[in-house]
Amino acid sequence: MKTKDNILVVDDDLDFLGVIRRILEKKGFKVTTVPSAEEALALLKENFFNAAILDISLPDIEGTELLSRMIELHPEIIAIMLTGHSSVKNAVQSLNRGAFSYLEKPLDPENLISIINRGLEKQQLVFENRKLISELERHNRTANTLLSVSQAVAQSLDLQKIIDAALEKVAECTGLEAIFIYLRDKDKLKFKGYHGLSTRTAANMPRELETASGVFSNLLEQSGPIIIKDLLRASESELSFLKNVGYRSFAGVPLTILGENIGVLGIATDFTQSLSPNNLELLTGIGREIAIAVRNAQLYEDASSARALRELDALRSEFLANVSHELRTPLSVIKGSANSLLQPDVIFDEQTRREFLVSIDRDADTLTRLVDDLLMLSRLEAKALEVKKKQHKISNVISNVKDHLDKLTIKHHLKISIPNDIPLVYIDEVRIGEVLTNLVENAVKFSDDNTNISIQAVYKNKEVIISVIDEGIGVPLELQKKIFERFFQGEGRKAGRRKGTGLGLAICRGIVEAHGGKIWVESKSDHGAKFIFSLPVN
Amino acid sequence: MDKKNILIVDDDPAILRLLSTNLKARGYEIFTANNGEESLEAIQKDFIDLMILDLMMPKIDGVEVCRRVREWSDVPIIILSARGDENDKVKCLELGADDYLTKPFGIAELMARVKTAFRHRGDPTVTPAQATFSYEGLEINFAKRRVTVNSREVTLTPTEFALLQHLAVNSDKVLTHNMLLQSVWGNEYSSEKEYLRVFVGRLRRKLEPDPKNPKYIQTIPGVGYQISTSSPANVQ
Repeated sequence: MKTKDNILVVDDDLDFLGVIRRILEKKGFKVTTVPSAEEALALLKENFFNAAILDISLPDIEGTELLSRMIELHPEIIAIMLTGHSSVKNAVQSLNRGAFSYLEKPLDPENLISIINRGLEKQQLVFENRKLISELERHNRTANTLLSVSQAVAQSLDLQKIIDAALEKVAECTGLEAIFIYLRDKDKLKFKGYHGLSTRTAANMPRELETASGVFSNLLEQSGPIIIKDLLRASESELSFLKNVGYRSFAGVPLTILGENIGVLGIATDFTQSLSPNNLELLTGIGREIAIAVRNAQLYEDASSARALRELDALRSEFLANVSHELRTPLSVIKGSANSLLQPDVIFDEQTRREFLVSIDRDADTLTRLVDDLLMLSRLEAKALEVKKKQHKISNVISNVKDHLDKLTIKHHLKISIPNDIPLVYIDEVRIGEVLTNLVENAVKFSDDNTNISIQAVYKNKEVIISVIDEGIGVPLELQKKIFERFFQGEGRKAGRRKGTGLGLAICRGIVEAHGGKIWVESKSDHGAKFIFSLPVN
Repeated sequence: MDKKNILIVDDDPAILRLLSTNLKARGYEIFTANNGEESLEAIQKDFIDLMILDLMMPKIDGVEVCRRVREWSDVPIIILSARGDENDKVKCLELGADDYLTKPFGIAELMARVKTAFRHRGDPTVTPAQATFSYEGLEINFAKRRVTVNSREVTLTPTEFALLQHLAVNSDKVLTHNMLLQSVWGNEYSSEKEYLRVFVGRLRRKLEPDPKNPKYIQTIPGVGYQISTSSPANVQ
């Protein structure tokens, strides 16, 4: 027998108690005897007995009553009732109340021992079953926790979402209060997420942990968790950030994938704790699940940033091809015209020579403007355009460029209507003047002579909305977004109007967006176009 | 001699003016078109001997014009392009263009290329000594500029015909890349090896029963091409 089984004997016959003690002790049991139910109950409250032998007639309480109370305290106790002839009926009743067996006095010692042994055997089975069931339940819980963590982290490929979901699930399944994750980034561990920390504690968590030595170094080197039961007695200074905010214990679980530790799941409690091997096993499993999801997300991130880079590269090549094309066109006019004048086989007349020179002059201007536009665009795209914002009246901005607008619209009717109560706008007047000039120039390009071009402004929802309206060919719906892309060239320029750089509207958009505004077009084909941009008042 | 008609297609008026002035000054009759659609109309309406075609145009671009014109006409086409990409060049030549000039270009260079194109169109003064050539089903009538394969008539562009004629007249001689480029195109083309590759490819697709395994025009790797009337097995 592994440990001595404990047997309590209750009888008011002291001689009988002495006899039974001897019998039982001889068989190796640990025996406690008491003469009254009251004393028995007092003992039962404090101690565990495997079995109890109760006389059915006791001086203070009925034996059956004692049996009931005893079973209430220790449901698994093996109770054997002792009866006289006259009380067999009571004995049967006590079986109904949970006694294991009953014996008639006088006792047959052999019989008593055999009954006790059978009872203890049954009890042993009950205990073993209970242990098995609880083991099974624990395994179930572990499996469920792992499953729900792995499901939670598999919902996303977004690293932060995975970490947040994992932490929440771990907290929910384990009841642990303060948990956090650090991920390895070269030779550092970086703070990536937490659950159950106060906002203030979270704000004070170190963003980076050194991994050269100490607990975190060990956590990245080894395969199992590290437990610090009591931070107050711990010497590890790298954990003082937890101690300082009142935590008493720490457990660190490596996040392991393919033998590599990519981070640490940290757990802190404000009482000293010692995690059971079962819990450690569970946490190690959770660490593995999180590691898999994190690694997937990291791989996905790498892949998408590579894809984004490729796309950027393709855009850049396309841009360069476009720039090269746009530069070559005026260059070929300049080169061709100059070259024509240099050919020895033909002497052109005065008029033609002049035409070549005019071409050279004008395409040199085109080239200059193209280079300016390209520079402007690259500054806008690098967010390097200097926008000197001040409070301005929109009517003053228009007045500043009025001469230029008049020159552009010499064959059109320019109408400007700005109500007096339009609030001041906080803008760079030179840049917004450029936007207006560009829009008017476009309107001229795509509408007939002698038609109207108007500039209007309204105040709406804390924004000043400015429109440039023409009566030209309009912009078909499918092009209304595309025209703001760089190098987009609209078709249907009126005869004699020079092709632009294809950058004007892209620049307008860049300038307006740099002011926090928006630009768009409203138009129906052949019914003119209304180019609109908004400028926030504040 | 009749004036030769040239159609210039470009959406940039400055380029149109530049080219017209120069070509007119050298005795050509000039027609212009501002875009692909106009050019397709013009080439059906007027008698055009040569087309100078800009590549980048809205709606119907130069590549498409070239493709459509080649469906029914063998008029020489010189592509003018602001894209210097070698792929664009090969693509246009494959589609049937005769020449490809990158902007910006010199006037003398353009004039030389125009002359080359007209030379391919058949200068009556350079009729070969023999009137016909015949080998294994391939029949060439040099005077009538007519080619048949197994009695099936094959339509060739002027440049294709010029190349085939040169190979046939010099059959059984190995013609190096340089020799072919200089004689068929001109001195200034000696570095344009891809012209040769593309045009031999075009000829093979039109003439050979199995273009991948040619029996008429043989490749002499690293050297050049030949039409061999002895056993083709002798030639690697």
